[in-house]
Amino acid sequence: MAGPPIQATTPTKIKKVSPGELMIQWADGHETHHLAPPLRGMCPCATCKDEMTGMRIILLIHIPDDLEFRKIELVGQYALQFEWSDGHHTGIYSFEYLRELCPCAECKKRTTL
Amino acid sequence: MAFWNKEGKDGDVTQEQVLGVLKKVQDPDLHKDIVSLGFIRNLKVENGNVAFDLNLTTPACPVRDQMRDQAIALIKALPGIQNVEVKMTAEVRQTPQMDKTALSNVRNIVAVGSGKGGVGKSTIAVNVAASLAAAGARVGLLDGDIYGPTTPIMLGIDTPPQSVKNRMIPKDAAGLKFMSMGLLVKSEQPLIWRGPMAHKALQQCLFDVDWGELDYLIIDLPPGTGDVHLTLAQAVPLTGAVIVSTPQDVGLRISMKTLRMFQQTRVPILGIVENMSYYICPHCNHQDQIFGQGGGKRAAEQLGIPFLGEVPLDIAIRMQSDIGAPIVIAKPDAPSSQVLRHIAEKIAAQVSIRSYEAPVLEVE
Repeated sequence: MAGPPIQATTPTKIKKVSPGELMIQWADGHETHHLAPPLRGMCPCATCKDEMTGMRIILLIHIPDDLEFRKIELVGQYALQFEWSDGHHTGIYSFEYLRELCPCAECKKRTTL
Repeated sequence: MAFWNKEGKDGDVTQEQVLGVLKKVQDPDLHKDIVSLGFIRNLKVENGNVAFDLNLTTPACPVRDQMRDQAIALIKALPGIQNVEVKMTAEVRQTPQMDKTALSNVRNIVAVGSGKGGVGKSTIAVNVAASLAAAGARVGLLDGDIYGPTTPIMLGIDTPPQSVKNRMIPKDAAGLKFMSMGLLVKSEQPLIWRGPMAHKALQQCLFDVDWGELDYLIIDLPPGTGDVHLTLAQAVPLTGAVIVSTPQDVGLRISMKTLRMFQQTRVPILGIVENMSYYICPHCNHQDQIFGQGGGKRAAEQLGIPFLGEVPLDIAIRMQSDIGAPIVIAKPDAPSSQVLRHIAEKIAAQVSIRSYEAPVLEVE
């Protein structure tokens, strides 16, 4: 099973640094800053993304710029679930997915290669 | 208050000397010495008499006697020792994040799963839970097999639980607290439910039951990978999962799926128990490997996870289960009871390792 090393997808600290920004520190030392609107736009739940085709139903243009994290909850030991200020709350973001979506320049370069 | 005999008069042994030799005793599971681990409590050294509590991470520690004997021998080798008194105590650590859930009084939750039905999952779960309770731990058992609950039979209780202030009171049996969907429905009545109902039922059995303070909550899962498993993996930070399998490769291959599911949801695998490993003839004590030999052990080695033991296909285990008196309690000296107790101890040791090594996650 190929994939990122476990440290890269194991968070050591999760913090809401502002109403619209989430910081995750990973066991490999990397730090990810997720802004609420783009993260909401990548919601993996079945109402935001077609289950069969994988097509996005909710797009970034549907999401207000001032969207906020209302609640951040751990799901067991493998994921986070957010309640957004638009009321949506059904998306479960696995740690792997949250790392994969890291918007920093270094990570972006790696995923586009 | 500890009396700190710094100088020591007339060559008497000091606290430092005692702690110095105790540092040579290693916990083989946690790979640290018992002084650094904080296991030594209430140490008193007076006129060559040494007394302390050895406070372990589980009362079911498989190496407790070994560590105690080694500690006593090392202290006795010091000059001028008259007497050494060791009181064995235990304090089970809590899995990180458990304190932030609705089950904050529960220290550890261990799921017992299997790939397919009929491998003896409930038998193992009941006897492991009863063994841990017999060792002195506070244990709960939740029969999560909502479609075919069998623990009420194995523990000999089938009356519905009482409710106080909308919380169900778990039943007492075999030294443990237990709850089963089988107690809520009449025994001949089938449960014909869709996923969301199964999800709700498990949540109620977890959160709406007055479990009180527990060191271990053992959850007997339904076979396979379904709603109950996912609900559990999402609802609570499981300390780990134990996979029960038969030696047959087919059984194992399906067990792999269950294993992968736990890995994907980051539930640590505490190990594999191989059930029905061999048949003991009740007449001549001859052993037969009906389902082949060593399958579970090989799989554990390949996957790099602990192999917890082989349980025989023993008519005594089945008979005790059917009359509602688990073999480890009713016949503690039977060979199969010893095997099951040893497995329970290995699971307790794995839980201690996980609670000790688990990364701490800060959420703000």
